[in-house]
Amino acid sequence: MTVDVYWRIHMEGDQTSLRRRAGTRGGFAPDVPGSLAPGVRAGEPDGFSHADYMAEVARAAERSGFVGGLLPSFPHTDDPWAAAATLARDTETYKFMIAFQPGFLHPVQAARMSASLQLATGGRTVYNVISGGGGPSQLWWGDRVDHDDRYARTSEFLDVLKGVWHGHETGGFTHDGRFYRVEGAALPDGLTGLPLPEVYFSGSSPAAIEAAGRHADRYLSWLEPFDALAEKFAAVRRLSPAPPRFAVRAEILARETDEEAWDELRRAWTGRTARTEDGGGDSGDSVGWRRGRSFLADAGDDVRGLEVQPGLWGGFHELRDGPPFGLVGSYERVAERLDELIGLGVDAFVLAGVPHLEEARRVGDHVLPLLSATPGVPA
Amino acid sequence: MTAEFHLTLPVRPAPRPALPGVVTDRRPPARGPFDVLDQVARGADLAGLAGVVAPFDPAGADALVVAGGALRATRHAVVTAAFHPAATTPVYAAKLSASLQRFSGGRLGWLPVVDLDPAVARAHGDVLTGPDRYARADEFLTVAKGVWTQEKFTFEGRFYDVLDGGLGRPLAERPFPRVFLSGTSDEALALSAAHADVHLFDPGDDVAALLPDGVRAGLRLPLGDADPARIADEVRASGASVVVAVAHDGDELRAAYRIGEHLLPLLREEDGS
Repeated sequence: MTVDVYWRIHMEGDQTSLRRRAGTRGGFAPDVPGSLAPGVRAGEPDGFSHADYMAEVARAAERSGFVGGLLPSFPHTDDPWAAAATLARDTETYKFMIAFQPGFLHPVQAARMSASLQLATGGRTVYNVISGGGGPSQLWWGDRVDHDDRYARTSEFLDVLKGVWHGHETGGFTHDGRFYRVEGAALPDGLTGLPLPEVYFSGSSPAAIEAAGRHADRYLSWLEPFDALAEKFAAVRRLSPAPPRFAVRAEILARETDEEAWDELRRAWTGRTARTEDGGGDSGDSVGWRRGRSFLADAGDDVRGLEVQPGLWGGFHELRDGPPFGLVGSYERVAERLDELIGLGVDAFVLAGVPHLEEARRVGDHVLPLLSATPGVPA
Repeated sequence: MTAEFHLTLPVRPAPRPALPGVVTDRRPPARGPFDVLDQVARGADLAGLAGVVAPFDPAGADALVVAGGALRATRHAVVTAAFHPAATTPVYAAKLSASLQRFSGGRLGWLPVVDLDPAVARAHGDVLTGPDRYARADEFLTVAKGVWTQEKFTFEGRFYDVLDGGLGRPLAERPFPRVFLSGTSDEALALSAAHADVHLFDPGDDVAALLPDGVRAGLRLPLGDADPARIADEVRASGASVVVAVAHDGDELRAAYRIGEHLLPLLREEDGS
């Protein structure tokens, strides 16, 4: 068995370290001194853009052993479809895991964009299908569909997309459903026969798990305490018609020694700035977000108080955009924890750390080589 | 003012010939139209054209994906993407486009295609017909511009609702994409009057009579093999200040350089610029 390890791209701009919250790479904090991509040269804009820096992160991940990267999508971030289309030629093997909410694109359009991107990249497109954080954020997007209905829509969306993908074999795909109507839809010659992107499915509610069972190649979960993850996986296994595969999204803070890693985290924690928002789409009626927060309710304010099991720390949402949990410690300890997750049935990871460029190289050089084919047995 | 030229990109897959075994084949894997798209876009950029247009073509690659690659491949060219309004929500179209604008230094254009053949529309999941399509396009552009330019944008329409929307900074830091529209019906002209920067006409249309106030006249021009001097005459006679050229011989790369090296110098000379 091999494990697909992805490295996230910071669509919200990258920060220089966990100690400094402002995302100074990518134009999201243009007034902070030292901001770059775009930067200033001799008093003039230097012509670089966020895409130029994202390309550096993608190239670093590609060369460091990652199969690709997750491109997340929230109201305040750059857009993953735009980024993937832009960066296709900057990379060779890198897979673009594009996060998107089915409601915002018509499935015929999604099929056409996906097939075009598959052709442009040589089959390097992967989906992270999300059905929405909900609440005020859904209305920001102009989407009125309720939580459970959004999963019904996601299911119908993927049915239509797959029907269109194979429409040339059936004489055109026709569908009259609750959310979508199409008549005689197919991809044109030259865009047919390409692999349908793998589907990484996100969502923690029963409606999500049910929809995932029909459509997911992998069920993608944020990192949680391992007992809770094991329970969640068991529930997915119970509800899935076919044996599901699992992927976990985890922050990584790894250094030569445990002490170094915790020192780094302590300095970041002590100097942290108050959060002013919950990261846009992270909130709303998201069950995953509430689950993450509920584990931490009684943890207190001491940095080690948020270590809910050895090497598993739950305060990252205070230090950068994204979910709470990550793995902290020496390269060996972090690799052991990842091996334990593989033991729970995980065969794909989306890892991340800030700054995404330098940390991709560090994790690729020092942690990935320690992963063991057989959990519990050193490599 | 010299008319600006935009060249239509080839989005249909062109089969490439198999090489006989005697020829060492080191070609990279075939990628359909993407084999030549970057070169055509770069050719237009190198040759000094104002831009390129990724057309909406049911038989070709998707224009938004093509536009992302073309923007990355070029330095100066405006890249205009054609799409039909049922393809995405207006908020999502704005958000995706805001990123393309940020990545490209503000070089994206939009060419919303409203007057689709009904069968093509249904195959793309769009069952709306007649004047309603223009009403929806009006709402689409109103919402997209609203979330682009306003911090707290709320809209309740026939087709779209948004509550407290708005891309904000830095996502909407670049201007809204330049909007190209077309069509000679009353609805089409009214839509252009409200939203277009450029209205595209076909050869033979009465541009002076139809052009809405405050909108630039554009001309869709099949290039063919005509003598550059004759094409220059046709452009000047039309009164158009924007030309979207279509290379009907299927050789867009050659057309890019032909426009840049032969046609643009003639037009500049005549205009004394």
